[in-house]
Amino acid sequence: MKAITANRLIDGDVVFWKSGQWVERFGDAELFDSDEPIEAAVAVGKSQPTVVVDVYPIDLVESGDHWAPVSYRERIRALGPTNELTHGKQAEGGDVVEALRQASGAARSTGRVDLIRRK
Amino acid sequence: MYQYDLIDKEFLVDRSNEFRGQVARRLAGELTEDQFKPLRLMNGLYLQLHAYMLRIAVPYGSLNPTQMRRLAEIARDYDKGYGHFTTRQNIQFNWIKLRDAPDILDKLAEVDLHAIQTSGNCIRNTTSDPYAGATAEEIDDPRVWSEVIRQWSTLHPEFSFLPRKFKIAITASAKDRTAAKVHDIGLLLRQGRDGSHGFEVIVGGGQGRTPYVGPTIKEFLPTDRLLSYLEAILRVYNRHGRRDNIYKARIKILVAALGAEEFARQVEEEWEKIDAARADLPAGELGRIRAAFATTPFETLPVRSEAFETAKANDSAFARFVRNNVRAHKQPGYAIVEVSLKAQEQTPGDASAEQMEVVADLAERYGFNDVRVTHAQNLVLPHVKLDDLPTVFAALQASGLATPNIDLISDIIACPGLDYCALANARAIPIAQDIARQFADPDRAEEVGELKIKISGCINACGHHHVAHIGVLGVDKKGEEFYQLSLGGSGAEDASIGKILGPALPADRVASAVDQLVGAYLNVRADGERFLDTYRRVGLEPFKEAVYAQAD
Repeated sequence: MKAITANRLIDGDVVFWKSGQWVERFGDAELFDSDEPIEAAVAVGKSQPTVVVDVYPIDLVESGDHWAPVSYRERIRALGPTNELTHGKQAEGGDVVEALRQASGAARSTGRVDLIRRK
Repeated sequence: MYQYDLIDKEFLVDRSNEFRGQVARRLAGELTEDQFKPLRLMNGLYLQLHAYMLRIAVPYGSLNPTQMRRLAEIARDYDKGYGHFTTRQNIQFNWIKLRDAPDILDKLAEVDLHAIQTSGNCIRNTTSDPYAGATAEEIDDPRVWSEVIRQWSTLHPEFSFLPRKFKIAITASAKDRTAAKVHDIGLLLRQGRDGSHGFEVIVGGGQGRTPYVGPTIKEFLPTDRLLSYLEAILRVYNRHGRRDNIYKARIKILVAALGAEEFARQVEEEWEKIDAARADLPAGELGRIRAAFATTPFETLPVRSEAFETAKANDSAFARFVRNNVRAHKQPGYAIVEVSLKAQEQTPGDASAEQMEVVADLAERYGFNDVRVTHAQNLVLPHVKLDDLPTVFAALQASGLATPNIDLISDIIACPGLDYCALANARAIPIAQDIARQFADPDRAEEVGELKIKISGCINACGHHHVAHIGVLGVDKKGEEFYQLSLGGSGAEDASIGKILGPALPADRVASAVDQLVGAYLNVRADGERFLDTYRRVGLEPFKEAVYAQAD
C-alpha cells in the first residue's frame, strides 16, 4: 500500500494526496494498492508547482487497524518531531496518530531517496 | 557593540523588499522552485521536514537585548514559541511559513538583524570567542576583527559564488572557544616579540565527511594585512577549488590535495599581486570599528564581593553554579556567566520566547546590554558584577536557565537531526536527552569532570561529532537509526579528530554505552586527567572493551 506526500509551498506543511486535493492529516490520505493510479496522481501533483513542492509516493505497512509509513522519516513527517509531542500533526492525537507512533517498520523512504537522486 | 549606520539599515530594508517581491513571484508561478530555491537560501530560508526553517545570523555570536526580545517575538508570533541556537552561534526557527518570511525579515531589519549569508556557497558568519571583551586571556578583542570581516565579506561580489560554503573563526585567547582549527580559515591572534599583533593563519580544517584539523600556512600575518591575505586565500580557492563534486568542493580538499606548503606558496604568490592600498583596511576605518567595542563602562570594584561570598557560603546550589558556569573576568569585581540551554529534557540549544526575554532583561539590568551565543549552544552574559550574581542566578534558576553543567557530560551539543532536518539520517535530540538523563546527578557529573559529547544526525557533522571527546554519529542502517561512537576528538586548542570506537549501536544502547565509557575512564584516570587526557594516554582499547566485551 502507498500514499503520496508533498510539502505545501506557501507554508511548508506536510500534506497528503486525497482524490485530487491535498490534505493535512495522514489519516485522510488516499491509499493506493497499485502503481498506475499512483503514478498518475504524482504527475498531477507535480503539475501544481504553485501549490506543492517535492511530491513523492511513500510505502505503507499495517500498524494495528491502520496503515503507517514504513520509514521512520515519513512517520516523523506525518506526526511531528519526537522531542516536542505537542508540535506538528501529532498534537491532535487520535487512533491514527497512535498507530503511527506504534508502527515499527524500518525501511528507507524510497520516494524521498528517489527525489534526492533526481536532484 | 557595533552599531549599524544608515547605509547598513537602508540596505537591509532594500534586501527585505527584494525578497518580498521574489516570494510573490514564486507564489504567482513566475519563478519555478529551481529558480526560487537559491534566492530563498540566500536569505537563510530552508525547506525542512515539517515547515520552512529560517536561519538568522548572529554576527560572531553577539546580541543586544533589543535583538533578543525581537527574536522572542518572532518565536511567539511566527514559530511555536521557541528558537534553536546553533553550533555556528546563529539561531534557527523551525516552523516558519513562506508567506510570513518577508514580514519576519522586515522585523529583523528593524533591529539590525538579517539572514543574509547564512546559507549558500559564500562566506558565512564569522565564529568568535563568546568571552570576547571579557576574558583576561585575550590579547585583543576578536570582535573588532570579526566585524572587519563581516563588513568585507557581506555581499562580496567576487566571493558570493564560491565552490562551496566558507567559514572563518577568530580567537584572540590561547584557550580556543571557537573550534578555529576545524574551520575553513582559523585565525589565532598572537603577540609578536616586539609587541605587535599578528594572526596565525590556519586553512583547510573542517568536519563533514572528510574531517581535517587545518594546517598553519602562515605563522604571523601582521593584522593590518588581514584583508589582502584573506583575499589571496579566497582567490586561490575560488580558482582551484573543485566545482565538479560537492563532496570535494570545500577548501580542505584543495589544501589536502596540494599540500599545505604548496597551497601557502600559491597564496603568497597571489598576495604579492594584490594592491595592498586597495585591499587592506585603512587604519581610520579600523579605528572607527574598534571604537564601537571599546566602550563598556566598567566600574572600579574590589576584587572581593561580600554579597557573592556570602551567597556562595550559604547556598550550595549557587556554589555549584559558580563552580561550573561562572568564569573569571578581566575586570575586578565582574564575572562571565554561562547560561545553560541544556536542562534535563530540554532540547540542546533551544530557548523559549520567555527564556530569551529573561536573558534580555538580565543583560539590560545587570550585563551592559550584552548577550553572547556559544558554539556549544549556550548563552553567555559576559559582564556581570559579582555583587549581582546571586540575583542573576536566582532569575536564571526560576526560568530553567541555571543548570550547572557547562562543559560537563550533560552539556551536549546536538544538531536538530531527523526530528526536523531534511538531510538527517537519524535523530540526535532524543539521544542527547537519554545521555543527559543518565548523568542527571550533578555530583556524579562534576566527579566525571569536563567531558564534551557532541551528536550529529548525519555525516555533515553540524553537531561537531568529529571533535567531541565522545562523538555520536547517527547513521541509517537499512532504514533503522544506529549510532557510531568515536573517541578523542577536540575542537579546542588541542584539536584532534575522534577515532571510531567500533560497530554502530542501536538507539537504546547509546546512553548505557556512554556510561560504560565513563566507567572505564574513572577506573584508570590519573589525578587531574580529563576524559580526553586519559583517552590520549591509554588509547582506544580499554574503552572498546568496556562497551563491546559484554556483548560477546
